[in-house]
Amino acid sequence: MDSSVEETVPETESVAFMKLALEQAKLALDSLEVPVGCVIIKGQKVISSGRNRTTETRNATRHAEMEAIDVLLEQWQKDGLTREEVALKFSKCTLYVTCEPCIMCAAALSIIGIKEVYYGCANDKFGGCGSILSLHTNSSRKVTCSGISKRKEFKCTGGIMASEAIALLRSFYEQGNPNAPKPHRTLVPRV
Amino acid sequence: MNGSVDETSVVSSEGWTIIHIPEKPPVLPHLQDTVEVLASAIEPKHADTIVRKLNHIAPLEGLRHVKRIRKTCLDGGKSQLFVILCLASGNDGDSNFVPEDVLELANTYQLSTFTTKVCKHAASTKEEWEEQCKLWPTSFHPPTYNIDGITGFSEEDSSAVFNFMKLAVCLAKSGTSVVNAAVIVDPSSRQVVASSCDQVLSCYAPRENTSKGSCSSNQAEGSSEVVKASNEAKQSYKDVCCLHPWGWLEQQSQVGPDSWHPLRHAAIVAIENSAARDRLLFPVSGQSPDFSQEDYKVFSPPHSSLKRQKINTNVKHDERMDHHRNDLLCDSTRPYLCTGYDIYFVWEPCIMCAMAIVHQRIRRVFYTFPNPNDGALGSVHRLQGERSLNHHYAVFRVSLPEEILKSEALATASKID
Repeated sequence: MDSSVEETVPETESVAFMKLALEQAKLALDSLEVPVGCVIIKGQKVISSGRNRTTETRNATRHAEMEAIDVLLEQWQKDGLTREEVALKFSKCTLYVTCEPCIMCAAALSIIGIKEVYYGCANDKFGGCGSILSLHTNSSRKVTCSGISKRKEFKCTGGIMASEAIALLRSFYEQGNPNAPKPHRTLVPRV
Repeated sequence: MNGSVDETSVVSSEGWTIIHIPEKPPVLPHLQDTVEVLASAIEPKHADTIVRKLNHIAPLEGLRHVKRIRKTCLDGGKSQLFVILCLASGNDGDSNFVPEDVLELANTYQLSTFTTKVCKHAASTKEEWEEQCKLWPTSFHPPTYNIDGITGFSEEDSSAVFNFMKLAVCLAKSGTSVVNAAVIVDPSSRQVVASSCDQVLSCYAPRENTSKGSCSSNQAEGSSEVVKASNEAKQSYKDVCCLHPWGWLEQQSQVGPDSWHPLRHAAIVAIENSAARDRLLFPVSGQSPDFSQEDYKVFSPPHSSLKRQKINTNVKHDERMDHHRNDLLCDSTRPYLCTGYDIYFVWEPCIMCAMAIVHQRIRRVFYTFPNPNDGALGSVHRLQGERSLNHHYAVFRVSLPEEILKSEALATASKID
């Protein structure tokens, strides 16, 4: 991933949405959370956003993507949408997230059937969209038997404003993770 | 400690078995991956110097299990030493790549080099190691874990494991259809920390009348479905979310799909419940009590078993009393996520759930039925073997007598009658 790409190619739309995701990540940082944020886009509009809440909730699965998905599920059910209608809506949604979705979130995004994902920096420890596993494609996985709903693929593009995403993570790990188990390891920037 | 881990299994008198699922799929010892290295015979008197220099100029990165020196016995009782100079191909796969320092060393000692094979990965079993040493000697460290019971379960431990798995099976069958269940246990106190069934088709609003999660259900409306489910024990278990993660559109809800969530698999909800318990037992100092109470209401398990709630209430009560006695409790005894806890699944979790319990720092995972569709702990993926992750749990399959699912259901049904 060439970090210079975003400077030279005017990817105005993806950069604009990624900036909004980065704002969410900054909110997380301000709350002493691992700074990862995201927005979900449908028809050129931001319809949901989320940021990490793992420390606050003491639930390490409350990643930005899960937060943003839950906002939509709650809203759409309140609106009385059926499961089929919700699935159709998700299939028209694009996610912008500052860090490559982890294995759990990549699986979740496939389960809900998202259309497309743009991420900032790669996640070389838990990445589920190419770094560790490739859950956004069917190629590495078993073909499903007939009669069972097929796993869903989504398009995935990384490296959008990666350096900004990394800078946020670095500032978090430099200030120390207050949620880490004691005794603390010596904290070093790891991205 | 010398036995290979994949042989670790404990069998009970009733036909229950605990089988360790290793981090690597078993490979035949003679089919291990190899890499080519450049080697040379050396004079024994130069061995120390050469090895010291090589360790400096050409360390064997990624091959730490491979011994640098090989000693072979020649005819007449004499022995010959060989040394690995470097990898036969460079980082770019360039087969002619030999570091200049190594070439210089070879010239100095007039070494005549040859290419040979060594095993690429450290042996995980004694059998693999013995086979490796036929190529080139390696070191073998039997896997060690900071986990009690990995190399064998005491009778007491295994009976606790069987009982918690029975509880999970019971939960999985307690609703209107067979689903997956997850039970998080603190093995040091042998207490259930949190549990849940799949809630893809029934979440948010607690519905007391569905009685999902209750082992001793006496709700008549659910009984016929339970019997039906037990009669169709061989069905595809279409409501088991981890078996069909993409099936949330097709799954039929018995109670009307007025609330549903495609990601609320049993493990996700159980983690949520355990986090809610954590926040309740160990409130952040300065946080208003109202907040944590309300918080807990929102996250409280809608279909929790009566039995489990009783256990939980007792724990809560005791620990809250302790908390009032000693304000320092928060910092000193507050658990970090689910560190040290075990989780029991009826079905092997899907990749989403398997990663969720990595994040939550679960120590050991037990499951009964493999998940050929999306199982992440041996069937399709093997997450416990992904070394890049920041946390690793040990995985065990608890195989139980085939008829358990059926008999448990019939027991429930007969109580209802």
